Amino acid sequence: MSRQPLDAAQIHALVVERFPAVTLERSENAQPWLKAPADGFLDLARFLKDDPRLAYDSLMCLSGVDLATFNLPPAKPVPPPKPGAAPVPPKPAEPIKPVEPSLACVYLLHSLVHRHRLMVKVLVDRNAGVVPSVESVWGVAGYFEREIFDLLGVGFAGHHDLRRIMTPEDWTGHPLRKDYVYPTRYNGVELRRAGQRFEDGPYAGNAP
Amino acid sequence: MTVEAYTVDGDLMTLNMGPHHPSTHGVLRLVLEVDGEVVVSCRPDLGYLHRSIEKIGEFLEYPQFVPYTDRVDYVCAMNSNHAYCLAVEQLLGSVAGSEVKIPERAEWLRILFAELNRISSHLVAVGAFAMDMGAFTPFLHGIGLRELVNDIFEKTCGARLTYNYITIGGVAADLHAGAEAEILAFCDTCEREMVRFNRLITANSIFKGRLAGVAAVSAADAVSYGLVGPNLRASGVDFDLRRDEPYGFYSRVQFEVPVGGAFAGARGRVGDSYDRFVLRCIEILESVRIVRQCLEQMPKSAAKADDPVGGWQVDANKQLRKPPRGEVYCRVENPRGETGYHVVSDGSRKPYRIKIRTGSFTAMSIFEKLVPGLMISDVVAVIGSFDIVVPEIDR
Amino acid sequence: MNGFHQSFLATAAWFSSCGLPGWLGLVLAGVVFYAVPLFAVVLPIAGLGQIFERKIAAAMQRRIGPSTTGIVGILRLTVNLALPWKAKAECNRLAERLVAFGPVALLDRLLTRTGVAQLAADGVKMIGKEDLVPSGVDGWLFRAAPYLAIAGAFLPFVVVPWSQHLVGADLSIGLVWVAAAGGLTAVAILLAGWGSNNKWTMLGGMRAVAQIVSYEIPVGLCMAAVAMWCGTLSLQQMVAAQYHPGVLSFLGWNLIQSPFMVILAGTFYLAAIAECQRTPFDTAEAESELVSGFNTEMSGLRWGMFAMAEYTETFLIGALFAVLFLGGYQSPVGEQWILSLPPLAETVIHVAIMTAKCLVAIWVMMWIRWTLPRFRIDQVMRLAWLKLVPLALVCLFGLALTMLLGARIEQVAYGRLLSAPSAQLPLIAWALSWLLAGGAIIALVVAAKRSGPPMPAALRRLTTAPARKA
Repeated sequence: MSRQPLDAAQIHALVVERFPAVTLERSENAQPWLKAPADGFLDLARFLKDDPRLAYDSLMCLSGVDLATFNLPPAKPVPPPKPGAAPVPPKPAEPIKPVEPSLACVYLLHSLVHRHRLMVKVLVDRNAGVVPSVESVWGVAGYFEREIFDLLGVGFAGHHDLRRIMTPEDWTGHPLRKDYVYPTRYNGVELRRAGQRFEDGPYAGNAP
Repeated sequence: MTVEAYTVDGDLMTLNMGPHHPSTHGVLRLVLEVDGEVVVSCRPDLGYLHRSIEKIGEFLEYPQFVPYTDRVDYVCAMNSNHAYCLAVEQLLGSVAGSEVKIPERAEWLRILFAELNRISSHLVAVGAFAMDMGAFTPFLHGIGLRELVNDIFEKTCGARLTYNYITIGGVAADLHAGAEAEILAFCDTCEREMVRFNRLITANSIFKGRLAGVAAVSAADAVSYGLVGPNLRASGVDFDLRRDEPYGFYSRVQFEVPVGGAFAGARGRVGDSYDRFVLRCIEILESVRIVRQCLEQMPKSAAKADDPVGGWQVDANKQLRKPPRGEVYCRVENPRGETGYHVVSDGSRKPYRIKIRTGSFTAMSIFEKLVPGLMISDVVAVIGSFDIVVPEIDR
Repeated sequence: MNGFHQSFLATAAWFSSCGLPGWLGLVLAGVVFYAVPLFAVVLPIAGLGQIFERKIAAAMQRRIGPSTTGIVGILRLTVNLALPWKAKAECNRLAERLVAFGPVALLDRLLTRTGVAQLAADGVKMIGKEDLVPSGVDGWLFRAAPYLAIAGAFLPFVVVPWSQHLVGADLSIGLVWVAAAGGLTAVAILLAGWGSNNKWTMLGGMRAVAQIVSYEIPVGLCMAAVAMWCGTLSLQQMVAAQYHPGVLSFLGWNLIQSPFMVILAGTFYLAAIAECQRTPFDTAEAESELVSGFNTEMSGLRWGMFAMAEYTETFLIGALFAVLFLGGYQSPVGEQWILSLPPLAETVIHVAIMTAKCLVAIWVMMWIRWTLPRFRIDQVMRLAWLKLVPLALVCLFGLALTMLLGARIEQVAYGRLLSAPSAQLPLIAWALSWLLAGGAIIALVVAAKRSGPPMPAALRRLTTAPARKA
């Protein structure tokens, strides 16, 4: 087996033979990645692991990203209040209108055989988006998927034990979403003043 | 060694191991179903130490997040700093012509301190593991050695646990006066004391008997369940990021990567708890070797007098540099194995998303499969041998 | 001794004459004459055992151990109580001036450095703690367990001889009493484990009972072998049987009478450590596995009673080991001369010697505890049933065979046999038996080492000193 790592275009060429819907994309910093549809992703995962030319035997990382505000123009910095002027109450945040599909599951794969890497993204809608679970392919995916389910609210079809993992079972909302509103009370415990968002906490006025 | 020819008989008892149990190394909770002393099923319950560090990162500027990486894994804060700073440097430098230039001395200091921290982290790991097995004395011997590392760190960067030392673009401070001699003295002490330590506990036949063959992980399972670092190598997979994907100046130092080999003798198996323990003991000595080489090769004085060790990345207007839009996944070899930072930037001064991949979190995924069939005492051995650090699981 | 016992009987009779029933009079007199002195001797020793252990552990772990608590606080309290009419600040000043005074300062430093003052502080703290009975526990069992533990630890001391004259009661069935009374500990631990209504305590209690019951057998076999050898069950007579006239008194000790005795002594010692649940056999407490095992729910004085019972038991094991194998309270040299002293002097010397022997035995126990990791419970049981019980049985039969041969062929007899009380071992035969046994043991050990796989190179490298650099 050669140790010559394949580049992204070669990998894509191998994959697209069997999965024509997979496209090769690049991040704006020229990081190449494969965009795969959620349908049939399990087959793609099996192929990536089992094909001897690819042999992606380890799932380095599976991260979920909420792209809801990724393409929005950055908010204007809040000017520091003038001395003596009455404090301006923060304006209520406008509801975010994300462009669907707005949730990304990023599969970062590594092959111990060929020592090459691959980034595969599956984009799903934020409401009722479901990705096939790949825990039967990479055992570690089960926990990563639970984490994404918990913090971003992506469902994983075929997961054997899809429960919240970081937050308590009766928690509401998915904290890593960009439109997450921090709860004011939890089980009778005061968390934050009513209506205050996570962003308006101690870091208010520090906008980009 | 599990119980031979065992069948579940009668009712099961649900046993809550944790979140406040002496040997779950923090607030980890395992819900065990036991039949007498034998565990029938194990369900880890995580999240008791979840501090939303990833979410907090989205509201902080890039350099402000460095102290939080200390808290991701406080047993090896230096390595966590290193991982995050490397990721941000890669992101900053991902557009041609904007590479981050790190002074040579700072690069040496980074791996010097990363290895010292690896030594101290492994000392805690093996010591605490020995304590889980009922031997209290090795733990204090390990902690005693770790104090020496902490003293060196304290003199250089002012902190003993959460260092905030490695910064984006360099390190926060140069070595304190006389540090080289102190570090060399520590290296000698460490090698001498580790022999005592290993004679005391590693070669102990009760200890071997407890761990030989317990919770052996096959190489295929280890890869599939995302075991990393010493846990992966104990299963016979020869992979170390420092050697195979060298970052920093690791390509300039010589060291061996130990691999598990059924060290416990006749009853031992590759990848059992004893192999994981012994591997850490060997890695301590290899790290001492690296530390010595760093001190030998490090330039005595910095190239630039006013900026000896690098610093925050600022542009011409003395404003913090903003990384370009894009993303990067950067991973380094931490004491608990691969730590990866997946940083997504939307071009602002704050990260759009930081995903931290840690060795302890992925190690938890194998518990459900590995623990059933072991005895309660062995569950403790499994937790200890995987070197679980709970803040790293929950983040 | 006789005078003492007669005063006891007289007191009992006096109690009866005061109108109490006869049995109650006997009990009260027993408390005054036997129980109180016994507690007065054993209790401080058990407490000192704890300090002893903490200091030893500290030395092995490169710490200092208890070293800061002095007697200033006690002095302040005492002065305040003694001079109630004076202001508190004045009393405190007085106490501090007192503690700066030469001899008092010396005493203070001694008690501080040795950690003995810490003992008082710990005791007061423990007594002052809230008497916590968690909800849901079985109140009776939970409350009774500590007392049973204490009883199980102290009752065997009744028959332990401290000198020719100082023994609680020289029962003719002394050894049986030790085994029976000691068995109470198992009950206490089971009650604590079950009564606490906690899964960890129950696991600890079950482990403890399984372990204690298993290790009773090798302990019992060892005791039986020694009883057979000495021809008595009374501990006092057992000590007397180990008497050897002449300068080298230790030649009479059981330990060196036969190679079997050495193996029996080792077996007894190991099994006894296991019976009192100390590392490497502390599976019942196993703080890293079972939180704190059977006493997880115990706090304050209840926990303290269990701790005290544990230290008393270690002390008991030391005492038993001395009596069974090391000639009891007898001096290793010149016992003949000590016996010729007046009773009081003889008693003092013998108590000191006995205490020293106990301390050595305890010290070894602590050494083991702070060095070794813990066995798993199945390994503990395996060790008892597959190793110690057969070993003890073999030695028992070996010893019996020796005695039989000794009785038949009077010249080769060694040991003191009832049938041939004057038969002494001819030196050559004695040396020959030791040589044979030693050779056999060395051969076995070498064979065992050879048959195992060689030490992996990685491990050998870890345990050898690094080469010195030029």
